[in-house]
Amino acid sequence: MSSKFQALDSKNILLEVKNVSVSYGKKIAIKNASFSLKEKEILGFIGADGAGKSSTLHAIAGVVSFDGEIIYKNYVYYSPKEAEKIKNEISLMPQGLGLVLYDFLTIKEHFDFFRDLRGLKKAMEYETKLLKMAGLYEFQDRLAVNLSGGMRQKLSLILSLLPRPKLLILDEPTTGVDPISRAELWDIVNEMRNNGMSAIISTAYMSEASKMDRILLFDEGEIIAKGTSEELIADIKDYTYEGEMESKECFSFNKRTYCLNSLSLKKTTPTLEGVFFVNALKKSKKPIIFEIPKKNLQMPEIIVKANCLTKKFGKFIADNCINLEFKKGEILGLLGANGAGKTTLIKMLLGLYPIDKGELYLLNKRIKSYEDRIELKSKIGYVSQKFSLYKDLTIKENLDYFAKMHGLSVNETNKKIKDYSEMLGFSEYLNAFPKEVPLGINQRFSVAAALMHEPVVLFLDEPTSGVDTVARSAFWRLLRKLKENLGISILITTHYMSEAEYCDRVVVLKRGIKIVDDEVEKLHKKYPGLDFEEIFLEIYKEKNEN
Amino acid sequence: MKMSAILKKEFLVFFRNIGLVVFILYAFTLDIYIAGKGIKVTPRNVPIGYVNEADNLIVNKIISSFHKPEFKKPKMFLSEKALKEAIYNKKIMVGIVFDKEFVKNLLSKKEAKLQVLVDATAAAQAEVTLIYLQNILMKFGNNLKLPATIDIIKLFNPNSNTKWFMSLSELMSNITMLGLVLIAVVFVREKENGTWDIMLLMPVRGSLIIFSKILSQVLILMVGITISIGLIVFGAFDTPINGNLFYFYLISFLFAFAIGGIALVIASVSKSVLEVGHLTIVIMLPLIFLSGAWTPISSMSPFIQYLSYLSPLRYYIEATQDIFFRGSSFMDLLPYLGAELLMALVLFYIGYKKIGRLF
Repeated sequence: MSSKFQALDSKNILLEVKNVSVSYGKKIAIKNASFSLKEKEILGFIGADGAGKSSTLHAIAGVVSFDGEIIYKNYVYYSPKEAEKIKNEISLMPQGLGLVLYDFLTIKEHFDFFRDLRGLKKAMEYETKLLKMAGLYEFQDRLAVNLSGGMRQKLSLILSLLPRPKLLILDEPTTGVDPISRAELWDIVNEMRNNGMSAIISTAYMSEASKMDRILLFDEGEIIAKGTSEELIADIKDYTYEGEMESKECFSFNKRTYCLNSLSLKKTTPTLEGVFFVNALKKSKKPIIFEIPKKNLQMPEIIVKANCLTKKFGKFIADNCINLEFKKGEILGLLGANGAGKTTLIKMLLGLYPIDKGELYLLNKRIKSYEDRIELKSKIGYVSQKFSLYKDLTIKENLDYFAKMHGLSVNETNKKIKDYSEMLGFSEYLNAFPKEVPLGINQRFSVAAALMHEPVVLFLDEPTSGVDTVARSAFWRLLRKLKENLGISILITTHYMSEAEYCDRVVVLKRGIKIVDDEVEKLHKKYPGLDFEEIFLEIYKEKNEN
Repeated sequence: MKMSAILKKEFLVFFRNIGLVVFILYAFTLDIYIAGKGIKVTPRNVPIGYVNEADNLIVNKIISSFHKPEFKKPKMFLSEKALKEAIYNKKIMVGIVFDKEFVKNLLSKKEAKLQVLVDATAAAQAEVTLIYLQNILMKFGNNLKLPATIDIIKLFNPNSNTKWFMSLSELMSNITMLGLVLIAVVFVREKENGTWDIMLLMPVRGSLIIFSKILSQVLILMVGITISIGLIVFGAFDTPINGNLFYFYLISFLFAFAIGGIALVIASVSKSVLEVGHLTIVIMLPLIFLSGAWTPISSMSPFIQYLSYLSPLRYYIEATQDIFFRGSSFMDLLPYLGAELLMALVLFYIGYKKIGRLF
C-alpha cells in the first residue's frame, strides 16, 4: 500500500496501529500488531488470557511502553510520554469488576471525584443522561460497596464516559457480569457510538462478536485474523464439517469438526471459535487423545444430595434453600453471575462452610459432624479457580503432595503420577513449575491432582475461564471421558453461558435463589432455536417480571 | 506420613524462595555480627576539648589520661566561649573547663570544682562518658589521698565486652522477628496464593496441618540459631559459654512455640504477606522493649516491670544470659524454663483457637 493511497483513505480513520509490540522482560505479550479503527466503529478483541489483548489496549491508551508507532488522528506517538497529549480524548476502563471504584464513596461522590480528577466542568445534563442510561439515577446516594457486580460495572463505564472520550477502550467489561447487565452495558456503548464515539472492546466471550463491527482474533501474542464476524466465518467454511469425531488430525467442538483434509462428512456453517481451531491446525498442532481406562465402580445413582441448603452472612442471604442432586456419570453445570451464590454453595458442598440450614448427604450418608466432613473431603476432588496449586513446587512435587495427603503409599503415588501424566498428556512437563507451562497444561494437571485419590465427585470452579479455545475444547472432551469411563459425577461452574451446552444438566442461581434446574436437552426443547446465552436472558427476564 | 508430606512441602517452598533464604541467613549471621561490632555503649572516639586557665602540670596530667580508644586527642580551646561554640557545632562532645582556682583549690584540699559540658544528644553515650570522666578524675582524687578507694571487679564479662552482650541481644530480637514472620507467612501465603481452600480440603484434621506447618518453621529457626551460635557467637566473637548449650536449645524451642502462638493470631487476621509485615512490627517492638534485651528490666519503671512478665522474650533472654555468662545449673534455670513453657502453652492455645476458626 503506497503512502499516497493511505492518505486518501485515512479520512475517517481515527486510530492506526503499526507494528506494535509489547514485552515484559523476556516475555513477548504482543508481537507486531497492526490494524486501524474508523470513526464511530466498534472494534472487538477476542482471545484467551495472555493472548495479548490487554497489552495492546494498554499500548494504545499510553500506559505501557511499546515498540512501533500509533497514530491517533494525525498525531503520532511512540511512547506513553508522547501519548499524554491525547489522553483527554481517550478513556480506558481496565479489567476487573469495578476496580476503579472506591467502596466507601457514593455514586454521586464518584462523579465529583472523577470530574475533579479530570479537571472537568460540571455538566448536569450529560451526567444525568449517563446516570439514567445506566439505570443508576435513583441510587446516587448509595455507597459503591453496596452495589451489585453489574451495577458496579455500569458505574465504572459511565465514569469512563464522563470526559466525553472520542475513543473508549474497555478491557473485558463483561466478564463475570450477569446477562442483563451485560446487555445494558452494550446498550450504553451503542448509544455513545451513535453520538460519534469509537470503541475498542476486548472480550473472552465469542458470542459478543456479533455486537462488534469488526473483530481481531488474538492467540499466543499474535493477531491471527481480522475482519467482520461473517468474513472470518466464511474464511473457514471449507474446513467445517457436521458432527464430532475423535481424530488426531481434526478438532471437534460444539457439534462441529474442523479439518484441513477433506472428510466425507457433510459440511456445515462454522462458528467463530472455528477460526482458532483452523489456525491451530495450520500451525500443525494436533488434538490430544485422552485414554482413560473404564472402571466399574459400585455407586448409588445419586451421589450427592442437598436439601434446602442455606447460608447467611449477617443479614445477607448468600444461598436461600437450595436443593440439588448429583447423579452418577453426569456433568452438572452451575451457572450464575458474580455474587449469585455459586462459590458459597460449592463451599457448603465441599464441607468448607458450616451449613446454616438444610442437610447434605454423600453416598446416602448424612454429613453432619467434623469427622463426617473429613470423610467427605476424602471422597471429593476439587479444582479451584485459576488452578491455584503450589507455585513453588514442580508439577510432580505437587501431585506427590496431594497423593500423600490422601494417604496413598509411595508406590501407589508414583504409579498414579505416571498414569495420569500420560493419560492427560503432560508427562513431559512433570519437572516444570506451574507458571512455566501453558494454562491448558495447568488445567489438566490440576485435574490430575484432584483425581489422585479416586474421588466420586469432582468439583471444578471456573476451570475454563481465560483458557484458550483449543485447550477448552480438549478440557471438555476430557471431562466427558472422565464421567463416562469412571462413572463419577462432575460439578462445574462457569460464567460462559455458552458452555452450558456441554453439560448434561444445568442449575442457574440468581441472588442466592435457584432459578433453573433442568436437563440441557429439555431447555432446548422449551426454547427452540435459541442459544444458551439467549435462553438465560429469557429466563432472567421471566424471573424479573415475577 | 501425612505430616512428613507437609514438612517436605514447606521445606521445598522455603528453599525455593531464594530471597527469603538469603534474608534469613543475613539475619542470623551478618546482622548479628554488625550488631555486636557496631553498637557500642562504652565511649569510643569521643571528641573532647578543654580550656586550661589554670595552666598547671596537674591539668596536663589529667588531660593526658583521656586517650584512645575511648577518646580522641583532646583539643585545647582558648576560651570557654570557643569551647561552647565547638560543642554547638558538633566539633567536640565533651568540654572541660579548668578555671584559675582549680589547681589552687585542689592542692589546698578544699573542694575543687571542674566545669564539664556534655553534648547530650546521644543521651546514653553522654551518660556513660560522664561516668568515665568521673572515674578518671577520681583516680586523681585517690592520688591525692582521699580516705577511701574503690576496687571494681566485673563478674561474668570481665572486660565488659559489649559484643558478647549485644550479639546475643540481637540474636534474640531476630529470633522473635523471624519466628513471627515465618510462622505467620506459612499460613498467609496459602491465602495469598489462593491455595487456602485446597489446604482445607485435605482429608486431615486441621490440628495436624497447623502443627506440622509450625513445626516446619520452628525447625528452620533452630537451624538458623545453630548457624548463628556456631559462626558468629562462638566463631567470630569467641563468646564463652559457662552453662549447658542443651538448655539453650530447649528454651529456644519453647520460645519458638510461644512466638508461634502470636504468629497464629497474626496469620488469622492477615490477608496478605504485607499485612503480616505490618502487624509483626507493631507486635514485635513492645515484645523486645519489655524483654530487657536492651535495657535491664530492673531499671524500668515499676509498672513497665510488671508488664515485662508478659513478654515471652524476657524469660528467654534471662535464661540465655544465665546459660552463657553465669553458667547456671538446671535448677537455677527452672523458673525461666517453667515460665516459658507456660507462655508457650497459653499463647499457642490462643493462636490455635484463633486460626482454628478458619479451618
